[in-house]
Order: sequence, then C-alpha cells, then structure tokens
Amino acid sequence: MSESEKFDAIIVGAGPAGAACAYTLAREGKEVLVIERGDTPGSKNVTGGRIYTYALEMLDQGLSEEAALERKVTREQVMLLGGQRAITIDFHDPSFNRDGHPPMSYTVLRAPFDEWLAGKAEEMGAMVACGIRVDGLIEKDGKITGVIAGEDEMYADVVVAADGVNSLLAQKAGLIGEIDFNTVGVGVKEVIELPASTIEERFRLTNPEEGVACMILGCTEGIHGGGFLYTNKESISLGCVFMPGEVARHKKSIQEIFQDLKMHPAVYPLIAGGETVEYSGHLVGEAGYRGIPKQIYREGFVMIGDAAGFVINTGYSVRGMDLAILSGIAAARAIVNASSPAEIGPLYMQELERIQLLPTMRATDGYFDVLQTGWLYDRMPALATAVMADLYSVDAQPPAKLSRGIREQMKAHGISVWDVIKLGFKGVKI
Amino acid sequence: MSKIVACYKWVLDESDIRINSDLSVDFSKAKGKISDYDRNAIEAAVKLAEAVGAKPVGLTFGSSKARQSLKDALSRGLEEAFWVKAEEAENADGAVTARALAAGIKAMGDVALVICAEGASDTYARQTASRIGALLDLPVVTSVLRVTVEGNTVTAVRKLDDCLETVKFELPGVISVLPEAFQPTIPGLKAVMAAGKKPVTEYDCGSLGVNLVSARKVMEVKAYAQERRNIIIEGDNAAAKVAAVVSNLKKEGVL
Ligand SMILES: Cc1cc2nc3c(=O)[nH]c(=O)nc-3n(C[C@H](O)[C@H](O)[C@H](O)COP(=O)(O)OP(=O)(O)OC[C@H]3O[C@@H](n4cnc5c(N)ncnc54)[C@H](O)[C@@H]3O)c2cc1C
Repeated sequence: MSESEKFDAIIVGAGPAGAACAYTLAREGKEVLVIERGDTPGSKNVTGGRIYTYALEMLDQGLSEEAALERKVTREQVMLLGGQRAITIDFHDPSFNRDGHPPMSYTVLRAPFDEWLAGKAEEMGAMVACGIRVDGLIEKDGKITGVIAGEDEMYADVVVAADGVNSLLAQKAGLIGEIDFNTVGVGVKEVIELPASTIEERFRLTNPEEGVACMILGCTEGIHGGGFLYTNKESISLGCVFMPGEVARHKKSIQEIFQDLKMHPAVYPLIAGGETVEYSGHLVGEAGYRGIPKQIYREGFVMIGDAAGFVINTGYSVRGMDLAILSGIAAARAIVNASSPAEIGPLYMQELERIQLLPTMRATDGYFDVLQTGWLYDRMPALATAVMADLYSVDAQPPAKLSRGIREQMKAHGISVWDVIKLGFKGVKI
Repeated sequence: MSKIVACYKWVLDESDIRINSDLSVDFSKAKGKISDYDRNAIEAAVKLAEAVGAKPVGLTFGSSKARQSLKDALSRGLEEAFWVKAEEAENADGAVTARALAAGIKAMGDVALVICAEGASDTYARQTASRIGALLDLPVVTSVLRVTVEGNTVTAVRKLDDCLETVKFELPGVISVLPEAFQPTIPGLKAVMAAGKKPVTEYDCGSLGVNLVSARKVMEVKAYAQERRNIIIEGDNAAAKVAAVVSNLKKEGVL
C-alpha cells in the first residue's frame, strides 16, 4: 500500500467518543477514517437514556439544538421500591432549562443519535466505514501503526480506540487485561413504545418537549445495582443494571428480576399498554476514577470514552456519553497539536485535565465507596418505605412514637445507627 | 469492455415494519436496504465478470432514497453504478420498473448480460427479468441456480419443481438467479472505502423517455394475521377433552 493512503488517524468505533474525535479532527483538516462494526453507527449501541448537552456544545456551538435527541429533562426523579410500596421523589428546577440556553440534558435513543453524530463527522470530511469489525492492531518497532480488519490492513499515524467498554483494541495493545467483573455492571433495557400524549399524561408533562429521568432503587433484590427510566418522544426506556458477580450467586435471573420491576405496582401503570420494540443488554463501567486503566495510550495509540473507563455512576445519575465526547475532543486536540506521534499520548493526558474530564472523575471518586454499601440496594428502600407506611397508616389505635417507630423499623430491617454513620463518613468524602 | 449488469432494488427493511392492532401497516420507522436476493444478483455479476473479463455494474430504479444504496452496492465489487431516478419508483408496478431498467440498460450501452434476482424481497413479483427481456427482445432464463459463460455462450442450470434443467443461449441475454444461488460475500474494509470513489451515473426518467404510468394501482395495504380462537379446553377426562376438540373443529367447519 502506498504511503499516500496512510491516514492521519484511524478511529475504531462510531459511538459518541469516536464520532466526536472524528468530527474534531476532520474539522481541523486531518485525514480520518472511522471504522464501525455495526451496519450503521449506533445500530447495536445501548445506553440508559440521558445525555448532558454541555459536551455537545463543547464539540461545536449549537450542535445540541440540531442533534437527534428525544425530550429535554425537566423532572428528575428517584424512586425507592420496598416490596409493593414506593416512594417517588420528584425534583424540578426551571433554571436547568432556561430560555435562550440549551437545556441541561436530553433523553436520547442511540440508533438515531449515533447515526446523526457520525453523519456530522462525515460532513466535516471524515470517512466512515460501517459494517467492518477491526480484529487487531499492526505493530512495528514497538509502535502501533495501523489496524487489521478481515484480510485488509490500514495504516495511520495514530489509532484511536473508541470501541467501548471491554475494549478489544486496548487488550491487543496490552494496556488492559481480561475484564474484571467487580468493576462492570450488566445493563438490560427495553424500549417500550407509547403515544406521546400518553407519556405526557402519565408523567404529568405539559408538552412533547419535556421529559423525565428517573433512577430506581430497591428493584434488584439486594444486588448492587438499580433501575432507570427515561421518557423519549414516543417511548419509554426502562432498564436495570446489576453487578454480574452477585447475579451469578442469586437464584433469580436478571430477566426475572427485571420482569418483576416492570410489574411493580408503581412502574406497571407507567408502561401499561406499551409495546416493547427493543430489548438489549450491555456492560457499563462502575468503578469510576478507579476504573481508568493505569495507562491509556502508547506510541501510535490512544483510548477514549468507555474504552478508557470514562464513566461516572453516582447512583442518582450516570454519565458516560458526555465524557465520551469530551475525551474524543481531548484526543483530537492532542493529535492536532502534537508535532510527532510520540507526543500525542502525553498531550492527551494534559488535554484530559484541561477539559476537566479527569478532575471531574477524581471529584466523584468517593461515590464508588458509598455505592459499595450493600444495604442501599434492599434494606434502605425497604426501611424508607416501611417508615412511610407507618407515617401514613391511620386507624383507631394511637400511633407509636415516631422516633421509636423509626428505631424499630431500622432494627427490623437490620440497619444499625453505626451503619448509617459509616455511610455518612463515606458520603462526606464526596 | 462489455458490461454485466446486476439490477437491484432499494427496499424497506422488513424487520422494521410494524403491524398495528387494526392490521394497518406502519412503514414510518423502516430503514432501507438492498433487497436481500438482489445481493445474490450483484454477487453473480461480480463473479461472472471476473471469470470472463467483463465489467460488473449495478443498476437501480429508485426514488431519491435510493441514493443511500449506491455506496453499499459498489462496496460489493461492482465497478460502476447507474441509477434511474424517479419518485414514482416507490409505487411502480412491474411494467414501469422493467421499462425504467430497460431504458437504463439501453442508455449505458454495451451490455452483455443482465442479472436480476428471481424476485425482490418486498414484493417478490418475479416479473422484472422476463419483462426486461421482452422489452429489449433478449433471451430470458429464470430460476437460475448455476451459470457459466464461455465465449459468447451462457450455460445456465434452472431449478424447477422436481428437476434441474440445463439451457444454453448466446449473449446478450437476461437471467434471474434464485435466492440460494451466489451467496453474497460481506464487503471488507478496503472494498467499503473504495466504494465512495467509484463512478455513479444518474439518469433522469424524463430524458430517457420512460413511461412512468402504472397500469396497476395499489388500493390498500393491510397486514395478514391469522385469527386465533384462543379456546382452552380444560378438564381431567381425556375423552371429554377430545370430544370438546372435535365439536369445536366441527363448529369451525374444518371437520
Ligand atoms: C445500561 C446503560 C445505561 C447507561 N446510561 C447512561 C446515561 O443515561 N447517560 C450517559 O451519559 N451514559 C450512560 N451509559 C454509559 C454510556 O452509554 C457509555 O459511556 C457511552 O456509550 C460510551 O461511548 P463510547 O463511544 O465510548 O462507546 P460505545 O457507545 O460503546 O461505542 C463503541 C462503538 O465501537 C464499536 N466497536 C466496538 N468494537 C469494535 C471493533 N472491534 N471494530 C469496529 N467497531 C467496534 C461499537 O459497535 C460501538 O459503535 C449507560 C450505559 C449502559 C450500558
């Protein structure tokens, strides 16, 4: 193959990380090839359902306005389920969606979104080759010089691994090992179609632009994990994430627990009559800052997005797509500014600091410890709903003293004051 | 160099088509694709062209949506694509489609062999090859399972109900290949990359003088769903249950 056919960068994966990187590089006049194994970008990709717009705006001003998104999130909800009981906290802050500013976040479906973003990169001049799986890397003199796909080889100054969680390329480059099942969750999700007006009625939304993001605790039978629900324009994304190691020891399967969630008296009325049009499963990084591999570049090679472990799970929100986009921008800036391929990696680390990605991940590191607390996933929601049940039960008998009632319920649910203090200590470190 | 033409249709992906509860059909979420069987026709054109040193090209009659098909078709080994463009293509009947394709074939010139699939994966009307042959006054061989070309002579094996028939004809001609013939290969990276640089010719139906008026009108599209009686016969007595089954079947008029 002639030298002239060598690309400035080959990006593997057309998810948000890869597409954002390609967009930025192509805009700066670089010759970019994006290789995606799906027949179209996003065709098989899975996410929960919400993207923060600041990242799109950083990619290019105004992008979030034309993006293929669903509903702006106007209500933030947390649902605690304990048996048949449920508590829903509903938070609303108009300043999240001020006139003249892009709304803070939108619900999103990946197939249209990824296709749109990859299309933007193509408009900028990137070449996007779909339906092709990269099988390996080409290495010469200790440097990564290209990729192998089937029988074809393709060369570039730098290969960008944007191939998602459990990155095959990072493994081939020797930067990560086999997956560690304590650092990832298994997510399952259904997209359930309902008419827009039904969604607005059930979630008390005033118009088709508004939407709900809801995290659900207490729906995993005590397994470390939780559920999520996002309202799209004409569908609901409902899913659940579990730690795989605990699931293996559990008697019920993921599908069964998820089915129970769908049938829960607080959830079923929201999805009743809908039609499931998509069922999917995917891994999601759960270890936050600690989940970032020690080294995320080599000469001729950088990792971005999920491939680099850039996901934050705080329990009340998940952030992966915005970080994927930020890291794509950071890698592109490094590639553009480097005067030799050897400089790309160190520059990339600097850009990750400058774009506030690594600082953000460090700042949220403590959530991992909080979320390791086993009783958060069953006893806490059970306790909270039981206390509520006590509060709201009225009959002919004099009610028990509230403080004593709570103490008794704590005892009944096996949560000690000491447990709460320990959690508080972990919490104050956040 | 003479051409071997693969005709293909850009159809809706049937896996995206929904059936509503009132049996109306929802096409709104369906994406397009090259008809599955037409991929076999493309593969046949590429393989035969390679064997005889001809140039494999693609030809499609389609609306503006068919633009998306060109890169895909070209990544499958075709060297050039021809697109006879008309919005009417979406509701065209077999006669219109054949007229448009025949006009495209005439316009590109120097065509040795035209290859169609036996039918498109959406309508499977099995008319295109025969109609093109009639319009261009060329020999037509349908239901082709295997085919070889030597010099000017085409030898084709046709799969009929219970036998294989071998026929010969002299080029130029038209064949239609069966879905089980010429399994398509999945394009590789270089093929996908090269596709974007290959030539595409667009023909306007007006300047080709194609009559786009369909003699056939589609009045309605409705899903066909088997009606289920949903009768569950309960009880412990097998004889009584069988008797109930029989009486139900009699009531339905099937016994
Ligand atoms: C259940 C669940 C819920 C989530 N909820 C949210 C949420 O609400 N908000 C949020 O911001 N984040 C959420 N996340 C995280 C978010 O989805 C990811 O962080 C994000 O998708 C990462 O983007 P990426 O581009 O790095 O990787 P991906 O989106 O995974 O894209 C990787 C791409 O690479 C392609 N690919 C992989 N291997 C190859 C190969 N060998 N050759 C060619 N192509 C290849 C894939 O097909 C894919 O298109 C969630 C994740 C899960 C699983």
